[in-house]
Amino acid sequence: MSELKFEPKIVAFVCTYCTYAGADLAGTSRLKYAPNVRIVRLPCTGRISPMFILKALQKGADGVLVSGCHPGDCHFTHGNYHARRRWMVFRALLDFTGISPERVMFSWISAAEGSKFADLINSVTEDIRKLGPFDQYQQLIKETESPATL
Amino acid sequence: MITQERYRTTVKELLANGSIKMAIGYRLGSTPDRRRPLFIRTSEEADQLVLDSTCMTNLSGYLVTEGLLSDEKKVGIFLRPEGIRSINILAAEYQLNADQIVIFGFDSTGRDVRPLDGRNVGEFSKLLNEIKEHPLQIVKEPLHWRIEKMNAKERFDFWQEEFSRCIKCYACRQACPMCYCRRCIVDSNQPQWINTSSHTLGNFEWNIVRAFHLSGRCVQCGNCDRACPVNIPLRLINQRMANEVLDGFDHFAGLSPTQEPVLASFKKDDTETFIL
Ligand code: SF4
Ligand code: SF4
Repeated sequence: MSELKFEPKIVAFVCTYCTYAGADLAGTSRLKYAPNVRIVRLPCTGRISPMFILKALQKGADGVLVSGCHPGDCHFTHGNYHARRRWMVFRALLDFTGISPERVMFSWISAAEGSKFADLINSVTEDIRKLGPFDQYQQLIKETESPATL
Repeated sequence: MITQERYRTTVKELLANGSIKMAIGYRLGSTPDRRRPLFIRTSEEADQLVLDSTCMTNLSGYLVTEGLLSDEKKVGIFLRPEGIRSINILAAEYQLNADQIVIFGFDSTGRDVRPLDGRNVGEFSKLLNEIKEHPLQIVKEPLHWRIEKMNAKERFDFWQEEFSRCIKCYACRQACPMCYCRRCIVDSNQPQWINTSSHTLGNFEWNIVRAFHLSGRCVQCGNCDRACPVNIPLRLINQRMANEVLDGFDHFAGLSPTQEPVLASFKKDDTETFIL
């Protein structure tokens, strides 16, 4: 088992109007990017509750990416401004309690930025690969005896 | 003692002339250093009022008891400055009408208790602004510095150690005046966001969520700290979050009854150094 190469599991929460469309563009442009990311599409970054991030970790993710429209581009005009404040506070909280901010990342990717999406996924995957599996958290998951389903 | 006697008289007067229907204060508790809440409706009950430096509990949570304020009559309450801040937050979050609250303010240094001037929450704004300007003492706690110096791994271990003792009694939630939701996220099971058993993972999630929901709302009254049966330093996390919103958004919770809640508002130029 230990011979197996570590493949990071990354969960991406994206908004449907920008980042998901950007991911779509990456796909239709036949851009190749790391297959380590599981994308969850939501109506808006404002809908991305911090609970989602915790849930992803609870299911065994090594890293989480949250991404939405650039400021000013939100389909609902200001969902991403609300989200930005929330992330800032939540990020500080995770940092203080020992979840390294390198494991939970945030980005703005528009519908036109297919190549930014592909590049970001690649670089995020590499970063998490370097950090290694989130052993501390996965140890906790094991203690609960519930399966990490990711 | 003088403060206590004066307040007893004031409460009696206000009850007698009908300006308040009830006053919420403190009475003797089961041990010499404990106080329990007292709900004063009559002049005899007012004689049981105790006000000294051991009256620590922030009583403002009782104000959102269902039906208490619905008759639009006024209720008096004994509050330290933190308690006054929580009245402002409750009013800003539309949980109560601040004009219905008659405040009997007090504060203490050492064993001395002194009254605070004012009855309506608006009259305390100068005092609260001064508190904002003075760095909070708890930041200087040695434990806080210790954590700041740790790396992520050490912090994780530190908090796991602390949270592993949690028994999910939710006393911290019940004791907190800001935790007034009828249905808390941990009570929801469709979907179930947080593991309900008290293993360390569930405890970690619970404590993170609790701290997040109190970010920018906690007033540092310490009710949670005192309620926790296993002495998890809960206030430390809340303090860290309070500093975060103060530094990031210049937000000090509970300055006025019309203050916008920090996580329900935004500025277009909020900092975003961390976004890729
Ligand atoms: S979190 Fe604790 S210190 Fe903060 S308002 Fe609630 S009970 Fe008071
Ligand atoms: S009061 Fe302490 S033991 Fe009880 S749920 Fe809160 S943190 Fe856990």
